[in-house]
Amino acid sequence: MESLFSKWKTKIPSYSEVHKELFNSLSSKYGSEGEKKLSLGKHFSTNYELYLYAFYLGLYNDEFVPITKQEKKTNFSYEIMNWGSKSTSLRKDFTTIQEHVFIATFAKCNVDVLELDKGNVKEDDIVRELIYTLESYTNGGLILIREELETNPNYFFQPSSFLQKLLKCKAASSKKSSIGGLTVD
Amino acid sequence: MIIEKVILENYLCYYGKKIIELSNGLNIILGENGEGKTKFYEAIEWLFQGNNQNLAVLVSKKAIHEHQVGEEFKVSVSVAFKLGSEKYIISKSFLNKKLKDGSIEPYNYSVEGIEESSNGERSQVDGKVLLDQIFPVQIRRYSMFKGESELDIFNNDDALINLINHFSDAKYFDKYAIRSTYLREQSDRAVESSVKLDKKNIQVYKGLEEEISALERKRHGLVTLTNLNEAEIQRLEQSIQEASKYVQNASDLEIYNKRIKKLEDEIARLMSLIDEGYTTKLFDENWINIYFEQYLSEYSKKVSLLSSKRRKEQSDYDTEIGIRLGEKKAKADLLNNAIPLPINVPSKLHMEEMLKDEICKVCNRDAKKGSEAYEFMYSRLKEYIDSQLTTDPSDEMQAQSLFHFDYTSKLVQLSSSHEDNLKTVRNVKEEMRDLFEFNDQRKNEILDLQQKLEAEIENRNNILGNSKLAADKLSDVLLNYTSWQNELKSCNTDHLNNINQLKNLDSELKSKKEEKNKIDLKSAKSFLLKTRDILTDIAKIFHDTKELKFEEFIQGLEKKANIFFKKINVNSFTGKIVITRKQYGNKNALTINLYEDDKPFFTPNQALETSKHIAVLFAISEIASEAHEELYPMIFDAPISSFGENKAGEFLNLIYETQNQKILLIKDFIINDKKTDKLTVKKEFDKVKRHKAFMISLKRPFDSESLKTIDSQFISL
Repeated sequence: MESLFSKWKTKIPSYSEVHKELFNSLSSKYGSEGEKKLSLGKHFSTNYELYLYAFYLGLYNDEFVPITKQEKKTNFSYEIMNWGSKSTSLRKDFTTIQEHVFIATFAKCNVDVLELDKGNVKEDDIVRELIYTLESYTNGGLILIREELETNPNYFFQPSSFLQKLLKCKAASSKKSSIGGLTVD
Repeated sequence: MIIEKVILENYLCYYGKKIIELSNGLNIILGENGEGKTKFYEAIEWLFQGNNQNLAVLVSKKAIHEHQVGEEFKVSVSVAFKLGSEKYIISKSFLNKKLKDGSIEPYNYSVEGIEESSNGERSQVDGKVLLDQIFPVQIRRYSMFKGESELDIFNNDDALINLINHFSDAKYFDKYAIRSTYLREQSDRAVESSVKLDKKNIQVYKGLEEEISALERKRHGLVTLTNLNEAEIQRLEQSIQEASKYVQNASDLEIYNKRIKKLEDEIARLMSLIDEGYTTKLFDENWINIYFEQYLSEYSKKVSLLSSKRRKEQSDYDTEIGIRLGEKKAKADLLNNAIPLPINVPSKLHMEEMLKDEICKVCNRDAKKGSEAYEFMYSRLKEYIDSQLTTDPSDEMQAQSLFHFDYTSKLVQLSSSHEDNLKTVRNVKEEMRDLFEFNDQRKNEILDLQQKLEAEIENRNNILGNSKLAADKLSDVLLNYTSWQNELKSCNTDHLNNINQLKNLDSELKSKKEEKNKIDLKSAKSFLLKTRDILTDIAKIFHDTKELKFEEFIQGLEKKANIFFKKINVNSFTGKIVITRKQYGNKNALTINLYEDDKPFFTPNQALETSKHIAVLFAISEIASEAHEELYPMIFDAPISSFGENKAGEFLNLIYETQNQKILLIKDFIINDKKTDKLTVKKEFDKVKRHKAFMISLKRPFDSESLKTIDSQFISL
């Protein structure tokens, strides 16, 4: 195959069980949309949407927090290659996000691909390293969400809260940018 | 026919024998509440319609008290009628025996009739048969009314049918209409059977029959639906009118309602435009990649370095191998021994194109055939083509290759494809800004409209507030007012749709029937067709005539009712009574409404409502008299309690003008002196025209706690 991306996307990344409650409360398991989703108090249609959000939040804030050995890992049994693969009257397909996540993860991950090309390192080892990076940023993001909720349980009540949280990240750089009614530092 | 005399004996509050002699024309019986008016009415009702159940409760308590144990006494109600020169008496009675425990035992219940001829000869007959002969039950139905609520006789579904059956000529056509319809159906069937003999027709004919019957069923359902919808529209209009009547300035209210509706619609439209699915857009619109560029750049640098390093290592390795093995393969070396670009850059297609055009399109210089540049490109392309060929495993170069896999190039490919698509990521900020601005603008507009809406609602509430309603009822009105109007709008739309659908159905039915008829004309025997045509015409004539008679009857009733109505309502309401016939499925129903300026007037006060009912009743009574060529008495208990004395006086003077005997029991014109507990008749009553008047009052003194002291009596005025 000789493609790390192709191999990487067959994996199911994990998260620490301490965040299980976040998934229960913020995402809707069966992909309900529109009013039903909101009436359930859910912002994300699926678990992997929350997972992706947490990854980006961790990444943009440079929160690389590996799951400790003491923490039990869990996942939602859904390979990365299926993430975003739906196109209904209400939603669009966003499978290209898989590539974006891979690119960002690879950028942040120290793996020796030349050694892989030479056959000195196994493909699985490199992929494991990439998944570890993905999980660590996601863990960092989940911690940020949890902290926000602990300080202010109503924080995510507004429809724009998750977006706002993302726009207030470190990656937004020191330049001030204003988007709509939001001022982002 | 008139009632000459009513004789009551030991009947409820009437102890002993009470005789009241009535006159033709208007008889007014005045009485305060609780003095015995209604009991008098009920006594006559018992005579006409009652039976022998619960007789003991009809016995005067005073009579029981006054009689000794073992003594017998009679309870009876008798009415003496005069019909031309003949006289008739109908009596209902029973005997009572007082028992030791003070109770009584009724027995010997009987209904007797006495006919008295002009020469004074008397003969006894069956009382019940006699009553039905001289005062038919269908006329009695429209002759006796207790209270104002009973005046609305069309409240009951059968009332109309009874009325038509007894008084309209339509009833004569009923049996002919049914019979002729049956014959027409038979002839239809005969034609159909004859057509079906021709086998070619069966299929088409059956199909048409099924279609026609399905259309007819659909039509029937639609007609019922339309009628129900019309009734609903009427109900809603009535509710709105009722609510509006509490409002002082109804036209202003309508203006505010229109404005409020417009504002609400606009707010709803703007709300639907606002899209706040920001979290969803993070994914679907790629917003989550807003800061992706810096990571892509990091990635690109990384893989580019990797690629370069890989090529360098490969080049070094190749050089080393080359030295070791001698120049086995010609290589295109770069100036200053630089690291070559990946072997597939530029692509095979681009290289071929450049060689063909003899130009290096990377550095934009000539590369004429035979030149150094041309040779360089040519050898690079050859190198690439060779790299794609299956190599001999024994090839020493391959066996000692530095890299066994090429993960790097896939990583490089991913980088370039995303570099090309950076535009979409860069647009995210713009898209976000646009959406936020759009939503903010809409929100501001909504805020503005909401302020306007609040002001309009406030204005409307002020109008509604200036109403005669109590606060709790007012809130009901406020609550329902808007919903009624919305419902009305949707009902009106439905109605229009139904009417259009009906039109379409009718034209479809017509064309299907014509189609079927064509087959009939071609295939059926001519005598059968002729017979069918004749029978169809006959059925139509009977049916139309019946309908016509029905309509005539309703029109006649309406006309008569309006004559009375105008008299009763002199100088007040200027509208008229409109009687409409509605069909629900196979059932006919009549609705009686008041119209003013050609619009239904749904909110009459009780007096107006009573006037309407009385006018219709008088009209029916007149129709009954005409049908039987006889005038019949009418008895009303408290029919005009909502009128007030002035209007009651006017009303009675009008009744005085009508022809048949009327017995009215009313509570007006009485003064009760609370100190002396004495009842007297007001002077105003002197001005009321009547043929005879009485006052019913309890014999004073009496103990209101003890029924055995109660005895009502008639005082002739």
